[in-house]
Amino acid sequence: MAANKKNRNVAIIGIGQTQYSSHREDVNQPEMINEAVKLALQDANLTKDDIDCFMHGNMELFEMVHQPDLWHVLGTGAYGCSEFRLTTGGTTGITLVCAADNLVASGMYDIVLAVGFEKLQEGHTTGGITNMADPLWGRMLQTGALTGTCAADVINEFGEDRARRAAMKHRIIMDQHASRNPNSHRSFGLEMDQLEDLMENSPRLVGDLRLIHMCSQSDGACALIFACEKKAKELSDKPVWIRDHVTTHREETLWMYPLDLSQKEEPTHRKAPRELFERNGIDKPVEYFDVFEMYDPSSWWGMDWIREFFLLEGDEHIRMVENEDIRIEGKMPICPSGGVVSANPIGATAMVRVAEAALQIRGDAGGHQVPGDVNHALASGFGGTLWTILVMLEKELDWE
Amino acid sequence: MAEYFGTTVEDIFRTQDSRFRPEGAEGVDVVVAYNISGAGGGRWKLTVKDGASKTEKLKDDDFGGFTAKMSADAETFVGVAVGQLDGAAMFTSGKLKGEGDMSVLMKLPMMFTKYMPPKKGITAADILATAVERFRPDMAGDLDITVGYKLSGEGGGEWTAVIKDGKCALEEGLRDGLTVTNIASASDYVDLMLGKLDPLVAIGAGRLQLKGDMETAQKLPKLFSKFIPPEASSGPELIVLKKTISVDMKYSTGRMMGKFLKGLKEKKILANKCPECGRRQVPPREICAACVCRAEEFVEVGPEGVITMIEYVYYASPDPLTGETRETPYGVAIILLDGCEGNETMWHLLKSDELDSFKRGDRIRPVWAEERTGNLFDIKYFEKVR
Amino acid sequence: MSAKRAAICAVAQLPFEKAIWHKRIQEMCFDVVEPVLEQTGVKFCKKPGDGGIRSIVTVSDDVFDARTISNNAIQDAVGAHNRGEDKVAMDGINAIAYAVSCILSGHDDLILLVGHCKESQAESRNMCTNLAFDPFYLRPLGLDFETLNALQARDYMAKSGVTDEHLAKVVVRSRRNAAKNPVANARDEVTMEEVMNSPMAYDPLRELHIYPQSDGAIAMLIAGEDRVKEFTGKPVWVSGFGNCMDSYFPGDKDLASNFPLKKAAKLAYRMAGVTDPAKEFDFAELNDAAAYQLPMWAEGVGLCADGAGGEWIDGGGMEKMNVNPSGGMLAGNPIMLGGLARAAELVIQLRGDAGERQVAGARRGVANGTTGAAGQLQSVLVLENDRAGR
Repeated sequence: MAANKKNRNVAIIGIGQTQYSSHREDVNQPEMINEAVKLALQDANLTKDDIDCFMHGNMELFEMVHQPDLWHVLGTGAYGCSEFRLTTGGTTGITLVCAADNLVASGMYDIVLAVGFEKLQEGHTTGGITNMADPLWGRMLQTGALTGTCAADVINEFGEDRARRAAMKHRIIMDQHASRNPNSHRSFGLEMDQLEDLMENSPRLVGDLRLIHMCSQSDGACALIFACEKKAKELSDKPVWIRDHVTTHREETLWMYPLDLSQKEEPTHRKAPRELFERNGIDKPVEYFDVFEMYDPSSWWGMDWIREFFLLEGDEHIRMVENEDIRIEGKMPICPSGGVVSANPIGATAMVRVAEAALQIRGDAGGHQVPGDVNHALASGFGGTLWTILVMLEKELDWE
Repeated sequence: MAEYFGTTVEDIFRTQDSRFRPEGAEGVDVVVAYNISGAGGGRWKLTVKDGASKTEKLKDDDFGGFTAKMSADAETFVGVAVGQLDGAAMFTSGKLKGEGDMSVLMKLPMMFTKYMPPKKGITAADILATAVERFRPDMAGDLDITVGYKLSGEGGGEWTAVIKDGKCALEEGLRDGLTVTNIASASDYVDLMLGKLDPLVAIGAGRLQLKGDMETAQKLPKLFSKFIPPEASSGPELIVLKKTISVDMKYSTGRMMGKFLKGLKEKKILANKCPECGRRQVPPREICAACVCRAEEFVEVGPEGVITMIEYVYYASPDPLTGETRETPYGVAIILLDGCEGNETMWHLLKSDELDSFKRGDRIRPVWAEERTGNLFDIKYFEKVR
Repeated sequence: MSAKRAAICAVAQLPFEKAIWHKRIQEMCFDVVEPVLEQTGVKFCKKPGDGGIRSIVTVSDDVFDARTISNNAIQDAVGAHNRGEDKVAMDGINAIAYAVSCILSGHDDLILLVGHCKESQAESRNMCTNLAFDPFYLRPLGLDFETLNALQARDYMAKSGVTDEHLAKVVVRSRRNAAKNPVANARDEVTMEEVMNSPMAYDPLRELHIYPQSDGAIAMLIAGEDRVKEFTGKPVWVSGFGNCMDSYFPGDKDLASNFPLKKAAKLAYRMAGVTDPAKEFDFAELNDAAAYQLPMWAEGVGLCADGAGGEWIDGGGMEKMNVNPSGGMLAGNPIMLGGLARAAELVIQLRGDAGERQVAGARRGVANGTTGAAGQLQSVLVLENDRAGR
């Protein structure tokens, strides 16, 4: 949330992710959650008895289960223990990270396990998202999270050909990242020579947003274990420290779009990082961070938001894509995991960003590990009506 | 014929009509064209109308008119049909392409049961070998009959089941003077026994011929319990429970939205105005988010305005009002009504038959419903001001 | 430097009604935010570091609101536009603990907490709570929170000697107290006969044993120690909290054991330094969604000996311990807000603002909140004022 010096430091000491997939008929919801919980406990070399508090998050209407933590206790392991359930939309997973940081830093709990999940196959995802709109008005007009607005803006600013090429290049790079991440839901084996074919032939969803640009609908769960500084140092060889986080929401409307584009409201994707970087004294975020795991719901947004999150100007972000700086081996690796376009179990998705950023700092990302030292990582979450959450992770406890 | 995943394109189209589900095609009137490229490919045309389906192979490239068209290479098409490839992924990566009304393609899985390739390893001989143990003396009573099986093609052969004194015995070869003779290809017989081919369809299409005493022939299915392939009895029991959840809701309009909806009834579009920043909100909300204060003053805006953004929607999502898949494409406009400024825009639909002609900055006006009840669709849509 | 403790500086409740059909949830929320702003003079943050509210914690539920991301609807009304907001999707008493953690962590020094729930919006709240059960076994069996509560009631009543007459006493007393509580929903007095002749709903629970359908909203301002004085001269300190999750399948647990509540209370009392709850609390607010829960939860939080609920009622325990001066949840709070409303009453009492139902000299109180059926997730909160002497 907001801003002061922390009461005590908090680290991530356990990471567990299921394989993300379009369908998991082989497990029910608590069983799938349990896969991630067990992996996180194994990763931290802990048992469930070591956990002081569990956290659970997803969105109820995707699976149509009310207060699902009550049933899912069979998988979370929260029986006989403290538990919190927080949900905030697509941001849910990263809200859980921020909330776990608060709960541990406050001194109330020493070790917290948070799990975010979604089994999107069990409901209708676009229908579920459409249900976020006001029942008297927007619900009849909205099409889930699908919108061509971002594409229209980028095209307006940079011209059709450059904009479309950059978005598709971003998409192909993400697909190639995903091919190196064994947990990823999908990688199509896209090659750069398919760029023009995909620009023309991938089915359109809304405006210039094509099917290939859009994130998947996935089943999966992600769990993280958080510990206070004392416990983290005792229990972990490679704690990943949470330095700070910021949450910026906006009102419910999705239909505010002026004729004169200079009157467009500044997005939370710029407000949130500015607030976060100012209070942490980071002048050039694109130089400070070694990796960025972005919540990129589509390649249009993914490309466009590079400019906002790093507080860049003009076409700097497009050039980063054109020059392939965002590749795992590039100058500013973005989403080595393949990003949300490659796997999107919504209640887990934003936590996966933090989990993947933490794996990069630990050097444990395997085939999609960024080469060289990863000391500073940034993770973002997206949800609601264009809300932003950012979490900063550090390898060393050496910031001011 | 080229096989992919053990199946040919022909296998899928040949069985398509037998897999038709009339209950999934109520009120459907469509023509779907299939253009399957590569070895074993070809062109097919599916017509679904009046609760029936007709699949035909075309000899030339001329599909004539169609509602939707699906194109893929033969391997992709078969892979998706037999569940070896993820249809959504193939569609996304462009290996499976759609054209025309995409909502039709999304409805196809409702209209047809999935193609199930015949289990490899299960032969007609395997099935007949279990006939003795599947025989039900309780149903046979004192029947004294001989049943012949004349099965052609790969895995075929000739057998006779001798039923007498509440017992069944199987012999190779056909006896003379059979009570009933079943004549079919061995692969159709296997499909029939696995429940993948409907016997009535098979008989109707001439693929299963029954000769001899028809009265006895009708009794045959009851004399044997169903053949269960050996694999089906092992492995995990994975069941997907399908359920529609519905709880009726009563959404309050509150004062602000209530007044707005009443305005629509009277062909007026009302905005409310923030007393602090002066921002107008359409539709009106109780609170100005920017100032976190109540906004109680109403002003009439529009009804004409300017398009600031058009969302052309091609994705056939379900209409939350009816659950029906929406017809695509449709257009949702963000509209700056006269009397509003900057970001004070609202949402509505654009007239569908003029969709291609709208552009940003066009002046538009609402088309009011004849009968207005105080809801969003008291404005049917917006059309161009000419 | 982060705060070492946090206090509730203001509370506002929308009077609970059977159906607030005339308002959208947005207006219900602002109806409670506005008085909190007025009482405290607090402002919303416009730029970082200006001392205004930057973070909001909300409580609501997607199924009851029939909206994916129920908090999305109310961003304007709770002041979350361009600020941060987290939704706690469980009984709102837990949101107080979460808000306190935001402050004690050092991330925040001020939290606006807003909870809402509109049970009347759905055709039936039981259809909603039925969806809390797994789709394969308990859901098709038709369990909902009330039917599972009835199973627990039967077990508990047998164990603790609680009779139909005891339950009637609980209901009669709830209504009598609620008559003095201007925000209570069910405020009409009822007689023992009326309760005991009320139709059986889920044996042994009668219609009048179950809280009435309710709509409402609650807001609070919570501040770190160093900022409390800016907003109130009567802070109510959050001194203890604990919660505990029970198992899921009713067959896996002893429904009468009070296991999760006892553990939650133990955690809360350890934090608050409470060793003898029967002596150290001046009053209590228990989340009695059904009448049997008042004595059962009283046992769980240690106001009454284990298994002695019936005797405790006969011996005037409810009066001596000042249990549920508000009328309790039996007087009508919606799901999600049951425990939060209990905490709101503690705040009002500890501020001395309870009017004719004021517990004289109240210094420290305990409240519980339940999430799910049969108290599957129990939460216990200890609040105290400056007279508690710490």
